[in-house]
Amino acid sequence: MVKAIEVENFSYKYPDGTIALNGVTLDVEYGERLALIGPNGAGKSTLLLAITGFVRGTGRVVIDGMGITNGNLKKVRSRIGCCLENPEDQLFMPTLFDDVAFGPLNMGLDSQQVKQRVNLALAEVGLAGMAERAPHHLSAGQKRAAAIATVLSMSPKIITLDEPDGSLDPRNRDNLVKLLAGLSQTLVIATCNMDFAAAVSDKAAVIDGGRVIAAGPAEQIMSDSKLMTSHGLEVPRKFINGYSAA
Amino acid sequence: MHHAYIDKFAYQDSPIHRLDARVKFVITVVFTAVVISLPRTTVSILFCYAVGPFVVLVMGGIPLRFVLKHILYVSPFVLVLALTSPWYDRTAATIIFGPWIWHTTVGWMRCWSILGKFVVTMLALIALISTTRFANLLAGLQQLGVPRLLVIQMGFLYRYIFLLIDSAHHILRARAARSAGGVAFGRGAKFAAAMVGSLFVRSIDTAEHINSAMQARGFDGNWRTINRLQVRVVDYVFVAIAVSFILGLYLFVKPLLG
Repeated sequence: MVKAIEVENFSYKYPDGTIALNGVTLDVEYGERLALIGPNGAGKSTLLLAITGFVRGTGRVVIDGMGITNGNLKKVRSRIGCCLENPEDQLFMPTLFDDVAFGPLNMGLDSQQVKQRVNLALAEVGLAGMAERAPHHLSAGQKRAAAIATVLSMSPKIITLDEPDGSLDPRNRDNLVKLLAGLSQTLVIATCNMDFAAAVSDKAAVIDGGRVIAAGPAEQIMSDSKLMTSHGLEVPRKFINGYSAA
Repeated sequence: MHHAYIDKFAYQDSPIHRLDARVKFVITVVFTAVVISLPRTTVSILFCYAVGPFVVLVMGGIPLRFVLKHILYVSPFVLVLALTSPWYDRTAATIIFGPWIWHTTVGWMRCWSILGKFVVTMLALIALISTTRFANLLAGLQQLGVPRLLVIQMGFLYRYIFLLIDSAHHILRARAARSAGGVAFGRGAKFAAAMVGSLFVRSIDTAEHINSAMQARGFDGNWRTINRLQVRVVDYVFVAIAVSFILGLYLFVKPLLG
């Protein structure tokens, strides 16, 4: 049966010889929300780059049934959208409209369809009516939502997000959690924030030293205090016995 | 982000703001060309030409203090050019403006002419920038046939100049926080070189990330955009008024003022 993402024995070295990923094997089913958790420098971002075809190593990466090759990169990227760590890099056009329209235009859609997709995507992330704003006039939370809209407008089956909660205050983080909860796509979210990971995922994979240490249901993985602390992580408050959010 | 002031008035709403970007750009270019082509010793007519951009600025709700401040920012470059003129040409000349008569030299007239042209053309330029969103201006330039690569470059410059300025501010603040009592010139120069290097490396890094973001959204080297500009009746009316004003002054008022 075809899976959303299949990574099999994937390894990648940086040009200076440092091993970033070492025999990573990981599957993600359609509709799953996978949190890639691990300490800084564990290889989470590199794995996301491998999944989206930006780094090519040894092993196999299959997206929506397609093995990534030079010939099908454009097709693969129409099915998997990626949100970079810094939304400033994602929002490079002079207006929000142009940014959200960038992907659909490259997919060859006509202007009417593009406008429709832009409006839908902006409404989905709560930025309806802000299409003419310049990215540098948006708040940090709005920039993050706008970055997600640039991907949603391409209607991908899978979305990867690299540290989407970075530099967000609690209110904006809550808004992001609600936004991600409302998405129907398969999500792969790399984060160092365990509370955030617990709030947005149903599956988790611990990565350390370029390897997948453990993968499974989010609660099972993240409530294992021995596993978490031995890799520089912490058990999210949600999974601490006796903890009540109230 | 603490410096959105560069384009802060472009997001207001006024009859001038609603005009088509292409129309405003072409009129500004024609206006500037006519003002610059006026004889070097013509001063009086410049006061009449200043009325045009002044009216546009007032109708666009742009504070004059903001305008004057931005003219002052760039004035040093022109001041050097203008103030050297009196040294080159000391031929006697007479200025007549209505009932007032001044006896001066051609050099001083040139000096005032350069300053006058500078102020009037800057008024027009600020009126354009402050009443037109940069995105619309870029789209307009593309429609007017400006090479696409140049338009894309300007778009990126506009988008990322704010981040670059922010980065420079952060580095300067970090230096200030660790340099109690000031820094010697030699060390200051060394720091400036390091700062430029750091900003350069950050810029390359950002460019690589932007390239990834573009490729992730299917960019294949062809820049695709949607034209959302529209010329309406009010734009034609504006063109008619502006052309009448520019040519009327040139053909009928300039000969009277000499």
